[in-house]
Amino acid sequence: MNIQNVNQNFNHMVHAYKVAPWRIQRQWIGSAFGVVVVLAMVATLYLDVTSKAAIAGREIQDLTASITISQQVSADLQTEYATLTSSSVMKQRALELGFRPMKSREAEYLVVAGYTVPQPDILSSAPLPQLSVLSILPEYNESLLDWVDEQIALSSRGLR
Amino acid sequence: MRQQYARRTQVLTLAMGLIALAIIVQMTRIQNSAEAAIFRQQASNYAYELRTFYPDRGEIYDRNGHLLAGNKSVYEIGVDLNIVKDPNAIATAVSVELGIDYSQILDTIQNPPEGLSYVVIADFIEAKQASNLQELKKTLEEQAAQGVRGGLTGLEFKSHPQRSYPEDALASNIIGFVNREGRGYFGVEEKYNTLLAGNPVQVLVPTDPNKASEITRVPDGTTLVLTINRDLQAAAEQILDEALITYEAQGGTIVVMDPRNGELLAMAVTPRMDLNQFWNYGVIYDRANEFNPAISMPYEPGSVVKILTMAAALDSGIATPGTTYLDTGSILVGGATIQNWDQELWGVQDMTGCLQHSLNVCMATLSTQMGANAFYSYMDNFGLGHLTGIDMSGEAPGRLKFPGDADWYPVDLGTNSFGQGLTATPIQIMMAASSVANHGRTVTPHALFAMVRDGRQYNVPAQFAGSPISTQTADMLSGMLAVSLELEDSLALVPGYRIAGKTGTAQIPVDGFYDNTQTNASFIGWGPIDDPQFMIYVWLERPATSIWGSETAAPVFGEMAEKTIILLDIPPDSIRQQIVAK
Repeated sequence: MNIQNVNQNFNHMVHAYKVAPWRIQRQWIGSAFGVVVVLAMVATLYLDVTSKAAIAGREIQDLTASITISQQVSADLQTEYATLTSSSVMKQRALELGFRPMKSREAEYLVVAGYTVPQPDILSSAPLPQLSVLSILPEYNESLLDWVDEQIALSSRGLR
Repeated sequence: MRQQYARRTQVLTLAMGLIALAIIVQMTRIQNSAEAAIFRQQASNYAYELRTFYPDRGEIYDRNGHLLAGNKSVYEIGVDLNIVKDPNAIATAVSVELGIDYSQILDTIQNPPEGLSYVVIADFIEAKQASNLQELKKTLEEQAAQGVRGGLTGLEFKSHPQRSYPEDALASNIIGFVNREGRGYFGVEEKYNTLLAGNPVQVLVPTDPNKASEITRVPDGTTLVLTINRDLQAAAEQILDEALITYEAQGGTIVVMDPRNGELLAMAVTPRMDLNQFWNYGVIYDRANEFNPAISMPYEPGSVVKILTMAAALDSGIATPGTTYLDTGSILVGGATIQNWDQELWGVQDMTGCLQHSLNVCMATLSTQMGANAFYSYMDNFGLGHLTGIDMSGEAPGRLKFPGDADWYPVDLGTNSFGQGLTATPIQIMMAASSVANHGRTVTPHALFAMVRDGRQYNVPAQFAGSPISTQTADMLSGMLAVSLELEDSLALVPGYRIAGKTGTAQIPVDGFYDNTQTNASFIGWGPIDDPQFMIYVWLERPATSIWGSETAAPVFGEMAEKTIILLDIPPDSIRQQIVAK
């Protein structure tokens, strides 16, 4: 008897819980909260990707500037080296080291089989590394709004 | 109670909904308003920046890879008027470091032209001086932070390339120079200015880092490799400078060329200019043709032209090496008497004797026997009176008068045969004589060995300008010229090497008359004659120690030839013949 009463009471409580109006409200609130969480996650992801893309872009700009500076430094050093090894400087250094210009009668020539006089070919014909335009997929540098715009434009072109 | 709450909730929901709707409507209205369009336009204006990228000017090397013209960074120093704090500190620092007048700097900063936010104080400042100022700025900014004194806030440094010539004045006449606007003047700098300068590129550069996906690549200007041998050029300049002192000449030129292909190996002239101080041009030169007399200053070359007259006579069959004639010391041509250089008679001479003793009468006899048509046809084919086409700016053609010209007289047929009454530049005579040295083929002199662009080297092939005489005539004449030097025991000879050559002594016309005391002394020669690897032209203007080319230009040629042999590693004839025999 007592057991039956307990079962009935329990069933009544379950039924009352299922039909309680505040439960429906909480279901709505929960669903809305879920939507907000999903939107927040998308927004966070979007911000993260956008910021990373911006940082990468800024690094590209910095590296481009670094390349320019390096080229300037290289040109400066090349010119400085040429100045330090210029004809007049090298001649002065040679004289200071005790060398003197030779006379033609002092030259001794040996016939070396197979020797060929080197021809002036000072710069190789190998191509220099080329800095070509980077091919980055649009997914990596377009914003969400850009993507939405693109999709709308595509759909409108499809509708026509 | 419950109904009352429900009603309140409905009212609140409606109110919030209306507010949200109002916000959305307002947002939409703003987004589509006329002002929004203006803002969008302004944003798009700043989204991209139009930049002009100037390529670095191409470098210039000698044939062995020595840099003759490069680029270095210099600085523009200016003041950003929007952020400047202490004009006095800037004026003091800059005036001390750069030596510019303090009050001038202060006035520039304090009274800038209307509407300017940035003023330039100095430009083309060397990197070291700019670095000193930058260090000072940094130090003063640290002190300013501690409240000690005003800093150099607002002082700006902008680097840009400037042409630099590591060899200073070496080969200045060949290279030319670039002014501060980047335009080349004289030499290869002017001739190849377009190639060297490259093409500036205008690019829209996105300011948005998200769009920084494209790297603008501006190809540098074309790099040039010259045929010049730097060490030979330095030697030629040194020998020339010493010769001017030794022979008390007023000016001079030494040109070394490979007669097989026209490659210029050296071209020394006086005066020369330190190309890093090109602004001294007006101080050094009075006229533009003084910059490189070897190509731009025609003169009466004198007896070196006898090579061409003899070549024409031999080639046309008028004479052979063994042909003899009786030299009576004078000949009448066009009503005028032509005499030998010493006004003596030389008796019976063969053609080698004519060259050996440089007999004017002999040459006038040959030219008159040939006749004006044949003689001038040969001279024309040798290129006299024409530009050689050398790849340097400022070439002059010289003058060869032809029968029918208003100022041609019959006597010119005689005088032209020994190099008077016509004008030519040293490079013209070399080009003409190259047909003798190069077995009958005339080469076009040139200074460009190769161009380098985008990492690839394009060699410039030799160009030939015709064959005015046969191979037999050329080789025969080379032999005659070598014998004439050997018989004369010329000062131009180099032991161990057989060399062909000819002196030239030309009187200089002054006020319409030739002055016997002022001459242009010249010598042209080449060797070794069986395989000519160098041709040298020496021109000394008004030597005072002796008026004769044989006593001034010939020994200079000998010295230059010896140096050339050493620097080009040309073995003596006996060694070369051993190599050929093997």
